[in-house]
Amino acid sequence: MKKWQIAVVMLLAAFGSWFGLNTQAQAKTYTIATDTTFAPFEFQAKGGTYKGIDIDILKAIAKKEHINYKLKAISFGAAVQQLSANQVDGVIAGMNITPERKQTFDFSNAYYTSGVVMAVAKGSKIKNFSQLKGKTVALKTGTAGATYAKSIQSKYGFKIKYFNDSNNMYNDVKVGNSAACFEDYPVMSYGIKNGIALKIVSKQYEAGDYGFAVKKGKNAVLLKKFNKGLKAIKADGQYKKIVDKYLHSSESSLTGETASSRTFIGLFTQNLSTIGSGLWMTLELTIISIILATIMGLILGVLGVMPGKLGPAISSTIIYIFRGMPLMVLAFFIYIGFPDLIGHGFKIPAFVAGMITLMLNEGAYTGAFVKGGFQAVDDGQMEAARSLGLPYWTAMRKVIMPQGIRIMIPSFINQFIITLKDTSILSVIGIVELTQTGTLIIARNFEGFKIWLMIAIIYLIIITLLTWLSNWVQRRIN
Amino acid sequence: MAKVVVKDLHKSYGDNEVLKGLNLEVQDNEVVCMIGPSGSGKSTFLRCLNDLEVPTKGQIVISGYDLSDKGTNINLVRENIGMVFQHFNLFPHLTVLQNITLAPIQLKKASKEAAEKTARDLLDTVGLGDKADAMPKSLSGGQKQRVAIARALAMNPKIMLFDEPTSALDPEMVGDVLDVMKDLAAKGMTMIVVTHEMGFAKEVADRVVFMADGLIQETGKPEDVFDHPQSPRLQDFLNKVINV
Ligand SMILES: Nc1ncnc2c1ncn2[C@@H]1O[C@H](COP(=O)(O)OP(=O)(O)O)[C@@H](O)[C@H]1O
Ligand SMILES: [Mg+2]
Repeated sequence: MKKWQIAVVMLLAAFGSWFGLNTQAQAKTYTIATDTTFAPFEFQAKGGTYKGIDIDILKAIAKKEHINYKLKAISFGAAVQQLSANQVDGVIAGMNITPERKQTFDFSNAYYTSGVVMAVAKGSKIKNFSQLKGKTVALKTGTAGATYAKSIQSKYGFKIKYFNDSNNMYNDVKVGNSAACFEDYPVMSYGIKNGIALKIVSKQYEAGDYGFAVKKGKNAVLLKKFNKGLKAIKADGQYKKIVDKYLHSSESSLTGETASSRTFIGLFTQNLSTIGSGLWMTLELTIISIILATIMGLILGVLGVMPGKLGPAISSTIIYIFRGMPLMVLAFFIYIGFPDLIGHGFKIPAFVAGMITLMLNEGAYTGAFVKGGFQAVDDGQMEAARSLGLPYWTAMRKVIMPQGIRIMIPSFINQFIITLKDTSILSVIGIVELTQTGTLIIARNFEGFKIWLMIAIIYLIIITLLTWLSNWVQRRIN
Repeated sequence: MAKVVVKDLHKSYGDNEVLKGLNLEVQDNEVVCMIGPSGSGKSTFLRCLNDLEVPTKGQIVISGYDLSDKGTNINLVRENIGMVFQHFNLFPHLTVLQNITLAPIQLKKASKEAAEKTARDLLDTVGLGDKADAMPKSLSGGQKQRVAIARALAMNPKIMLFDEPTSALDPEMVGDVLDVMKDLAAKGMTMIVVTHEMGFAKEVADRVVFMADGLIQETGKPEDVFDHPQSPRLQDFLNKVINV
């Protein structure tokens, strides 16, 4: 138990010091996190760039105040977590200034004021809160809408269901799984203007202020510059221009899409480059992770059948831990929990964290079947090899492994396919792979069915190719 | 000095004491046959001789190498002891020729060419000259066992251990394997053979050892052991074996 822990800590610390140094060298560039799907404040436009009130305000202020920054679009929940874990320098994501948040963050002056409204499906008869009794309400985690709904839940007796992005929440209401959702007014009205089949049925409650946030006590300079810049763009009319542009126009005029591009083929060609880069990320993650997991699995398997007690004990402990942990928990632990533990502004890039996550999880599964494969080789084989005078490792390499690996090939193919599919879970730490790409495109055009169908077909195509390749390799080996 | 010296050999698996103090010396060129009921510890004894099992107590000296001595390179000792198993244990992923040449090549005993030449010669001596490129699974049991003998001989061992080499064979295959072993004995190989082939023991063995309950109960020339058994244990065993 102790030994592997030390090994893991050392490995991650080595990664850490390397990246730590890297980021120090370019300390002038701030990393600002934003949400992925919160139109009109932030959303992905055609070609994969981000647009929206937040994005444009930030850009205008940065230009005025000469702030160098890198935009990082992740889910709102992840953005807030990363800000508190020091993984990013600031968050601008339609974030309400609340007393609770002020405990952990310092906020800029308010740059927008908005209230929460209730929205229901177009054909719904629900008009007020009391009609929600016994029904389910869809909420997006971490939003003002969620806080407000929670505060009135016991009074009106409804159930709550949480979502990680707005679009899934709207959809749940649209298809009737949930009776209503609570959302910031500008967001909701923008969505409806752009074709979401919902309607707003309440006035604005709990009007709140949006602010730009930094971690408490950190980045005071950045905050000061933001406030100064905000004042300046309000004074010179830029601010009003930005807000008007987004609140008084539909999505197509902002993203340059036309009605004819809403067919399946049209959507596909429109989003080709975005999907392509997501696909590439998925493939990159899959291939690197498969290689790393296979190496780790072989090591665990060999340790697992080694004579003596230590090797097998280390092997089963590692397999036990990483096979038992849900992939998402492991991803959050490595990406957010671990840097938190180390402190000192330690950061792990999402891609590296994702890779380590997949390596540990898939490697543990691989280790289990590699060990089983070696054990399935008859004991007499090792005895015969040793009786000829072959040393243990030579016998392992020349006699046990070739037979064991033949037994394992179907399991390897299976594991490769699982690895490919598991990359989609890494969207939770903000890796924009194929699945996340789908989420982003839908957040902008609301074409859920067509886009998910597209993504599903792409996965099936790669899995088919991967299976063919594996079968070919299998035939070659036999 | 004797080729194999075993003194007060004990072996336990947990509480189960399988070998309870064996003493045996085998001379150069000697052929010793071991007989005894199943479970008496014959296999365990053979496996101790090349360190596949580690004795709980006692001493084993092979060609002057003390196995219990930490300084002894066990792989070196094993090169000098060929072992043939009841279930052949051929390597199924390698051809017959590769089965035989694997160890000589890996242990750098010979170049690939020289090892293959030796292997083909050995296959000729065991009567399987045409099977060099066959896979083990295409061979009959008798053929497999002869390949296994050739594989052991390829390391040019000084001692050969046989653990019931014909027990897993169909009766019509037994003769071919025993013939190969007889040839080997005639050439002066030192051999310890666990077997129930009494005919073979009578014809080839210099000495027969009867084991029961983890101890050597009786030992002597084949004719003495088979025709004038002393202990009731041995008489009983021979009766059973002959009546089968
Ligand atoms: N690896 C092992 N673990 C535990 N017990 C064993 C092991 N190998 C053999 N034994 C026991 O030792 C005894 C002697 O076995 P063995 O040497 O195979 O007898 P024989 O070859 O004379 O039939 C048997 O009771 C068997 O159950
Ligand atoms: Mg036996």
